[in-house]
Amino acid sequence: MSKVRECVPERTGELDFPVEGDFKHYEVFTQLEHGKRHVHAGHVDAPDPRMALLYARQHYGRDEPCVNMWVVPSDAILSANDDQDVIWPRTDQSYRHVRGYKDIRSRWKEFRRECDIEEYQKEDLKEAF
Amino acid sequence: MNTVPDNLKTPLVELLLTVADDKLMLGHRNSDWTGLAPILEEDIAFSSLAQDEIAHAAEFYKLAADLLESDPDKLAYGRKPDEYRCAAVVELPDEFDWSVAIARQFFCDHFDLLRLERLAGSSYKPLAALAKRLVAEERVHVEHADRWIRHLGGGDDDARQKTQAALDKLAPHAAMLFEPTIGQSELEAAGVYPAGKRDMFEQWSADLCAVAKDADVRLEVSRPPAGASGGRSGKHSQAFAGLLDEMCEVYRIEPEAAW
Repeated sequence: MSKVRECVPERTGELDFPVEGDFKHYEVFTQLEHGKRHVHAGHVDAPDPRMALLYARQHYGRDEPCVNMWVVPSDAILSANDDQDVIWPRTDQSYRHVRGYKDIRSRWKEFRRECDIEEYQKEDLKEAF
Repeated sequence: MNTVPDNLKTPLVELLLTVADDKLMLGHRNSDWTGLAPILEEDIAFSSLAQDEIAHAAEFYKLAADLLESDPDKLAYGRKPDEYRCAAVVELPDEFDWSVAIARQFFCDHFDLLRLERLAGSSYKPLAALAKRLVAEERVHVEHADRWIRHLGGGDDDARQKTQAALDKLAPHAAMLFEPTIGQSELEAAGVYPAGKRDMFEQWSADLCAVAKDADVRLEVSRPPAGASGGRSGKHSQAFAGLLDEMCEVYRIEPEAAW
């Protein structure tokens, strides 16, 4: 540590630094590779959006290579909470999940084995699948 | 060209050391603010920008060391005070007055950006390539300084008065950034340090004044008096030797140590 720091002037009296007045909260999103999605990295406090971006670059852009960065005022984000606002359905709608189609290929194989393949072709279903 | 004619070698080393010394000292000065800047975000950002300055300096020392067949660390830490070429404005203590630190940044970053833009057109290819790489980073530094000046100037009376006092205090020293380096005119004639589109001092002054106007503060800068000699000729403030002793303390314990 530098010797000049032994002479840091004492700050006396109350700090009249505004509690929140000049500063806003910004969420920071970083994109680590072109084509990949932006991922929430954290947040910064800043007096304006440009300064927020500048701080975000210094805070979140230095640990790993980053190709793009967004800052968004936190109060611009509208959020829903599953506890109160219901995001996940409360009824069984498992038919909506694509996992129902996961074994479609093996089912078809099974079906074709069982049926006469020629018959199946006559049905003109081959075009569809 | 990838090599320098013998007659331009010394002037070029002078120029490279000038750029490197300005940046090293500025980075060193700013690193004193780590943990002390006005808000946490700024603290981290200012320390990060200080590391940029030191990293830029290291690149210029490397170019100079290549020409001198010397070692970059030896150039950064192993010279006598009168062999350093930095301008007075980067040596001045800011006494932990944030407006002084920002004003110093404001004068120096604008100067550095214009200097790098000129160097990016250098006929000495390794120098042009380096300057091109650093210009974008320097623009971030300029934006940082400009935003602070605007915020402080546009703040309450206390902030504006302190900023005004800091600009008034530093302006005469900042002019000495323009003191020509030894042999600068030969480098300019040979295209190693080509002139910009507009006279560099006029551009610098116009850029600074535009921001000052926005920030509602007065700013007057003038060219250094003809024949004035300062940092570029190795003449430094009294405090400089002390600053250097401290910065080089660890290096001097064991100059040959490998880090």
